[in-house]
Amino acid sequence: MLYYLIVCRSLTDAQRTAAALERAGITARVLRSPKSIAGEGCSHSVKVSQRSLPDALRVLERAALSPKRIFITAGDGSYQEVEL
Amino acid sequence: MIYLDSAATTLQKPPAVARAAANAINHLASPGRGGHRPAMAASETAFACREEAAALFHVTSPEQVVFTFNATHGLNIAIKSLVKPKNRVVISGYEHNAVTRPLHAIPGVEVRVAEGPLFDQAAMVESFRRELDRGVDAAVCTHVSNVFGFILPLEEIAALCRAKGVPLIVDAAQSAGCLPLDFQALGVAFVAMPGHKGLFGPQGTGLLLCAGEAEPLLEGGTGSQSLSQTMPEFLPDRLEAGTHNITGVAGLLEGIRFVRRQGVEEIGRRESCLIRKMGEGLTALPGLRVFLSEDPEAQGGVLSFLMEGRDCEELGEALGDRGFALRAGLHCAPLAHRSAGTLETGTVRASVSPFNREGEICQFLRAMEGLNKP
Repeated sequence: MLYYLIVCRSLTDAQRTAAALERAGITARVLRSPKSIAGEGCSHSVKVSQRSLPDALRVLERAALSPKRIFITAGDGSYQEVEL
Repeated sequence: MIYLDSAATTLQKPPAVARAAANAINHLASPGRGGHRPAMAASETAFACREEAAALFHVTSPEQVVFTFNATHGLNIAIKSLVKPKNRVVISGYEHNAVTRPLHAIPGVEVRVAEGPLFDQAAMVESFRRELDRGVDAAVCTHVSNVFGFILPLEEIAALCRAKGVPLIVDAAQSAGCLPLDFQALGVAFVAMPGHKGLFGPQGTGLLLCAGEAEPLLEGGTGSQSLSQTMPEFLPDRLEAGTHNITGVAGLLEGIRFVRRQGVEEIGRRESCLIRKMGEGLTALPGLRVFLSEDPEAQGGVLSFLMEGRDCEELGEALGDRGFALRAGLHCAPLAHRSAGTLETGTVRASVSPFNREGEICQFLRAMEGLNKP
């Protein structure tokens, strides 16, 4: 199943992001970013389903929360960055 | 034992605080240090605590709520972030050593004291105005004196600082949880507070509310940007190096929830009633000097007194022998004693929490009557 990972600058930022999405009825889960996308070392991401991303981005914009980067899972288990 | 030393730490806590701390010891790991269930549960607890604190103190984002070990820790971060060598700083005449010692440790800092008589709020505003007009780089002000319970006119002082563009650090050690505190409306740079007093958390907890940039006091692991050898620029990670006191944070979360359920105004009103009853009772006894404000709005849940011809430490000891827990001496605030003229004698200090009962105040007054007889 395809899903998006919204990479956040900190754990608390990821928690704020997930909380904003959940409040808007979008299922969101905080998890540690996979090493291959973490960039500067350890980080946290918020996982959302493929179909939720457009709504999620609207919610985050309204909440003044800026995702650092967004990745989508590829069929082979790797991640591809999504241009915003 | 009747506990009247809540200005040092509250001893009676809501039962949920101890339950949460015990649960944390058994089930919570380290926030941000793993993706497993115990680590994520700890992360959720920490975030819930930040959110509760942000709601209580009207902070825009939970990221601005930083966990510290106590108010002193927060004040050190705030002062060392804002005050540089040779800066000029104005402080009130009722500050604790948690403010004056960090300032003293910064080379060449000129500390100007805004003087004013005890419980005279208008004089304190004028004094701050004068010092701000002379030009300063930063200001530090306690909200409530830990010795006398004097409530400083924080809104007015904050407004003066905003008008002059001077960053203000607030020491809310005695007011957090007992008096309304609106971080956004005040527009201050930092508010430092303990978690273990009016917020009913365990000892070893504190909060620092940050408006903007801050310099870390400690460097180390944060669970973020691990490849970088400098601390992250963003809050709260920038100021939270090392493993969190999650046991304390779990307890603090329940303490803050208790305060929000009870209501800060109700807690403050209750403490004020208790302290006035005590103050009026002590004033009726001969040979006592009682530091009770004529204006109830100028005093929180703290009261100092002295007994003629009796050393304050001896009196505190005698009360302890009779089952009353109070603190005597200088209370780590020699500047406040100098301002009130009690530097030579010190005082005995009683301080209450909403868990105290009127009956306990009556028992205390009877004990004081007994001690006051020749």
